[in-house]
Amino acid sequence: MRKNWIGIPALMILLLLPSLSVAQGDDEILTPVAEEQLEEPDPGLDVPGAVTVQDKDNDAGDNLLVSFELPANTEGIFAYNVYRRVAGELGEEAWNLVEVIPAEELPEFIDGYDPEYPISTGVLYEYRVASTTVDGEEFFGPIFEAGIVSKGEIYHTGKTKVLIAGGLFIFLIFYYFGKAQRGAKMYLRPIAGIEAIDEAIGRATEMGKPVLYVPGLSGIADVATIASLTILGRVAKKIALYQTPLIVPNRDPIVFTVAEEVVKQAYLEAGRPDAYDPDSVFFLTTSQFAFVAGVNGMMMREKPATNFYLGMFWAESLLLAETGSLSGAIQIAGTDAVTQLPFFITTCDYTLIGEELYAASAYLGREPKQIGALKGQDACKAIIMSFITVALIFGIIDVVANTHILDWLRDLVTTPIIE
Amino acid sequence: MNIWGKMLNIDRRWIFLGIGVVSIVPFFINFGMPVRTTREVESIYEYVDELGSDNAIFISFDFAPGTQAENMPMSVAVMRHAFYNDVPVFMTANYPLHHGMMLAAMDYVFNPTTEGFYEDVDFEDWRELREAGVTAKDELVEAWENQGNQLPDGATGWVFEGRDYAALGYAPVFSLVILGLTVSIETQYPVDAHGNSTGEMPMLQEHKSLREVDLALTSSGSGACVWWVTFAREKIGLPIAFGLTAVMATDYFPYLQSGQVIGQMGGLRGAAEYEVLLAENGITPSTDKAFVGMDVQSAAHLLIILLIVMGNIAFFAGGFHKKTLLKGGR
Amino acid sequence: MKRTVPLMIVMVGGILMILQYFIPHQISQTVFAYYTDWTPIIVAFALVLGVGSLTRIHSHKIRRKAKNWQYSYAVLIPLFGMPVLAHIWPVSLSGGMESPSIFHFTFMHVQVSIQATMFSLLAFYIASAAFRAFRAKSALATVLLLSAVVVMLGQVPIGELLGRWLPETGLWILRYPNLAAKRAIMLGVGFGMLATNLKIIFGVERNWLGGTGK
Repeated sequence: MRKNWIGIPALMILLLLPSLSVAQGDDEILTPVAEEQLEEPDPGLDVPGAVTVQDKDNDAGDNLLVSFELPANTEGIFAYNVYRRVAGELGEEAWNLVEVIPAEELPEFIDGYDPEYPISTGVLYEYRVASTTVDGEEFFGPIFEAGIVSKGEIYHTGKTKVLIAGGLFIFLIFYYFGKAQRGAKMYLRPIAGIEAIDEAIGRATEMGKPVLYVPGLSGIADVATIASLTILGRVAKKIALYQTPLIVPNRDPIVFTVAEEVVKQAYLEAGRPDAYDPDSVFFLTTSQFAFVAGVNGMMMREKPATNFYLGMFWAESLLLAETGSLSGAIQIAGTDAVTQLPFFITTCDYTLIGEELYAASAYLGREPKQIGALKGQDACKAIIMSFITVALIFGIIDVVANTHILDWLRDLVTTPIIE
Repeated sequence: MNIWGKMLNIDRRWIFLGIGVVSIVPFFINFGMPVRTTREVESIYEYVDELGSDNAIFISFDFAPGTQAENMPMSVAVMRHAFYNDVPVFMTANYPLHHGMMLAAMDYVFNPTTEGFYEDVDFEDWRELREAGVTAKDELVEAWENQGNQLPDGATGWVFEGRDYAALGYAPVFSLVILGLTVSIETQYPVDAHGNSTGEMPMLQEHKSLREVDLALTSSGSGACVWWVTFAREKIGLPIAFGLTAVMATDYFPYLQSGQVIGQMGGLRGAAEYEVLLAENGITPSTDKAFVGMDVQSAAHLLIILLIVMGNIAFFAGGFHKKTLLKGGR
Repeated sequence: MKRTVPLMIVMVGGILMILQYFIPHQISQTVFAYYTDWTPIIVAFALVLGVGSLTRIHSHKIRRKAKNWQYSYAVLIPLFGMPVLAHIWPVSLSGGMESPSIFHFTFMHVQVSIQATMFSLLAFYIASAAFRAFRAKSALATVLLLSAVVVMLGQVPIGELLGRWLPETGLWILRYPNLAAKRAIMLGVGFGMLATNLKIIFGVERNWLGGTGK
């Protein structure tokens, strides 16, 4: 793998290429020009004053913060219509109505959210605001040049807390990766469900019946599905060695293609590519309950000796597991879907709860790096647990001493809506 | 095997028969037991009730036919509430099958056999008025009725396609669609489910992206509801309400407590609560299907509890607790 | 090579996606859009593979007259029939998706009914599973059992008739102890996801590429 590192920057450049076409020129900020009076304001309705434009922080260079001075006399004004045009363009048709602000609201808004009239990076704009009557009659104020162009930032300052926390957790996981690789002994709590996997495959072999493996009903983007596929690789290899039939029905077409590859490769690694049955891994349907009907039908007809349900499950969990229990199979389930856990626990012989599913691959493989990652996770959890304890103490202090230190702590770690 | 042993090993078909009976009987003998509302549902009701014709909401049909008994009544209830207040409703679906659920909900609300139905006016039928610039709801209803159209008996009001609702429907890879909706609705859905150009719809001209929308209700039978939080609430601060199946409801309380969703309707009970609020406030003439279903649910829950109690009596009276544990458990 | 290229794509893609989260600049947004544009394309092609797999397996069954081969027709006919009815069959002969059409009728009166039936089985299975598994075997199991009874009664109107405390206690269980437990599992799951993602991005976990990744 090490020698392949050289390819990474090359690939990165390749993948970045399409974005270069949008790389901007100089973001030169122009100075405001002298105000130009469009027309004499009607004495009947006072017009708004100076328009101030600022670049919005933490955006892609597609927003401007626009505010304007309210007229001295707001009597009779129903709303303010804000118009924008590219500086230098002439004629009434160049003006676009970008915002209507009711008279009672604050005279400010973020320009650029309207998909019809987007703001382009580095383009200088002009604004004018009109006071409008309830009948829609407009009285225009003077034209102002923005004086500033919008530009994109290369770091989102609102995400610093996420960066720090993410960085800390990633560091801890990597630290334990390294520690494990250097040969440090690490204890792993035994998990009955994982230890029973071998036994369950053995049982199917003895009975001469197939093993059913359902890699969850979610897509490939779900980490539970990926965790399930890593376990499938190990399970399929053992099955290949024992020459037990395997059934892997899939609900997601992408998961199906990956699962097929995983099983094929496992048979190859086990030295039994001839034993691989191309019909063992298949796509069934994307429909949730039709999938259940299909799998339940297989359970009742083929009577697999062992059923694995590992991955993401929803309402179908009990339908699958109860039918499996009816058919007399030994069942091992694992999911991070908390609401489905009770169903699996009541109907399956072993259940992997939440993160145990992610840990299963490390348990089965016992590779140092994998175990290190588990330890890293534990360290992260220890930090969160300490934090919760501190928050609890602060909460009690707040109640007893009538202080607000818990709010301070909350502000320290929470981030507002990102944009 | 003694009597307790026989009881524990009862053929499960007897249990199935019992559930079948208690699920069917209450439909014929309607007890109409009272449903008390909870703050989780009241908060959604109050939020929608505050909205008017200047606002807009999304109702996302994120459920398949399987969970429609739970998810459909809540979607229908919020839709009727919005129509009553003239709030424009955008309807989406995150899966092809869910698209069918969206159409079924519309069929139900617009069907003259439904009590308090809404009379639907197709997008093409009011083109003339639209092109004449009559798009404000009050003016539109007046102009429409002046053309000789009469509201049918029993109907609550008119709903104009493109003014009061837009059936956007299914679009592939829905999580990314939500992300795209935060920028522009029209880009994601150039045409609606009936092939009408969305750009011509007055409600889309007034609400061009999710930033100009006031609420999204995701009536969901799967984890798709979280996409709305991740891609709409966290990105642009769009208020989200959840309509969930009863099984899922416990899963999403953390989102309520953190304030990421304004409220949630859990299962048939949540839908029944919304129906009660609508009926009590005169928005619908009476409660609907979910309320009727609560009698069934009461009976079924009682039977399950009875079975659990009987199972435990047999377990202890038969002395099974001293022997090897029966199958089940971790 | 067969392994190196996918591993590199994952590593570069993974790192770029992490970086773009912190970079609001237009370039970063374009890279993100470029990646997300690929998603529907990949899904569409994968679906072709999926349908191909289903068709292959069932036509094999029919050809070999394997056990229960007749059912394969029940898969293949609707699989191709429904899209034909929706998109190819002339509207004048009740084609298309809009009501009234054969597609709409079949969807509403076959698919919806069948799926609702499947979901309804849950009520029967829950009763059967609860009868077999809910035992007050230990102190913890008793607490679980009692909580279940209170929540179940509290969720239905009959609980209200038995006493106001029942729904209130049920809601309290849902709002607090349930939430605390859920949050604890979510945190564990969150870190598990983080570690799994890092293992995949940096090539520590390769089983998803097939076999045991050796």
